[in-house]
Amino acid sequence: MRIPVYWGCVIPNSQYAYEMSVREVLPKLEVDLVELENVSCCGLPMRSVNAYVSVYMAMRNLAIAEETGLKDLLVPCTGCHLSFSEALHFWKQDEGLRKKIGLLLAEEGLKYDGIIRIWHLIDLLHDMVEKETVLKSVKKKLDGLKLASHYGCHIIRPSTLGRIDDSENPRKLDELIELLGAESLHYPEKLDCCGALLLWSRRDGAFTFSGLKLKAVQDRGFDGLVVSCPACGMMFDARQKVSAATVGAKLNLPVLYYSQLLGIAMGIDEEKLGLHLNRSPVDELLEKIR
Amino acid sequence: MSITDLTTTKKPDAELRLRVLEKIGEHRPNDCFQCIRCTSGCPSMKMMELKPHEVVSLARLGFIDEVIESGIIWTCAQCLKCKERCPQDVAPVDLILALRNLAVEKEANVPEIVLRNISTILETGFILKPQETITRKLEKLDREKLGLPKIPQPSEKFQAIILKALEAT
Repeated sequence: MRIPVYWGCVIPNSQYAYEMSVREVLPKLEVDLVELENVSCCGLPMRSVNAYVSVYMAMRNLAIAEETGLKDLLVPCTGCHLSFSEALHFWKQDEGLRKKIGLLLAEEGLKYDGIIRIWHLIDLLHDMVEKETVLKSVKKKLDGLKLASHYGCHIIRPSTLGRIDDSENPRKLDELIELLGAESLHYPEKLDCCGALLLWSRRDGAFTFSGLKLKAVQDRGFDGLVVSCPACGMMFDARQKVSAATVGAKLNLPVLYYSQLLGIAMGIDEEKLGLHLNRSPVDELLEKIR
Repeated sequence: MSITDLTTTKKPDAELRLRVLEKIGEHRPNDCFQCIRCTSGCPSMKMMELKPHEVVSLARLGFIDEVIESGIIWTCAQCLKCKERCPQDVAPVDLILALRNLAVEKEANVPEIVLRNISTILETGFILKPQETITRKLEKLDREKLGLPKIPQPSEKFQAIILKALEAT
């Protein structure tokens, strides 16, 4: 199956490991990515500045995705996924807005017909790809690993927009982890926010969020934290040291993307999955698997 | 409305209140009965001198300038728990975002980086520029060295259309 992919900005500009691992694992599940040209920011950062322009920015990218003639769009970034879902909500609801934005789109020869359905990596792997296909691709079961899952706020809330999973008790990422043989256990801080969107305005506050969550996961004895959002990945992995300093904790918790975990189970070369780029001590986790 | 803020002797601003209501569409702060579920789930709560339910209350009363000037609206992490859990569908986060939009319009206590973000989007199409990364073995790498394809760029018209859309509202 061919599916266009919208990477956004955090993934291709800083979270290379996420991009690399998605590019490695999906073809093994018979999902081939189609690159999009001419795309721009998803509109989420503009939401704080001008809601109308943010909807236009989201619709612009969806219109470009529609040009491929394909019906599905993979949006591996949770922030972009929210921005697109929200824009589609306004688009369907408000005829005046539809007209105004339609005119802006027409200036570039674009139009949106409402065909595209958006997917995040987690629901794509859980709902679109057959369980058997994933299981067939797994070469090495991850038995014995105790992992904590972190979804990212924007793919599970608000439920009124139709998110990928239940807002208070999401299970899909946990089921995907368990499919690989590892244990995904519940913990009270599971729904806690990483704080990434506070980085712009309240830096210390942001690192307090990430630090407290990391400390909780580590104190509960997990072998690692599995994430599915590039902003959360950046906070928990690349910014683990500064998070630790902010909350006065000693943190040493392996953090990796689900696509990386899946790639490990598929037996893909670690460097191809970007595992050398994780700043958290993923070697400790890899030792347990080897 | 006859309420007066006793510390500042200010009166509510009915006109500004209407402008905020226009921006939030389906979510009505008037429906709030102050059950405080939003605040009890808010991860930013400890950093906020005005809690989410108090922001809703002030907006309902019409003390818009006061909320905007306080800068408290920029302490929201947009985790969306308040929107999810509000029994009255008030969505405090949407109100906060509407207040941010108004703060930008009025140039009132907006963090500089928010405005810098817009110029980066206009300039490059995205909010971030490619960053160098470093492995755990301290090797410096970038997209090219990692074998990743080039990042797409929007057409030349993009900038002009965004500027036009910003002006139109």
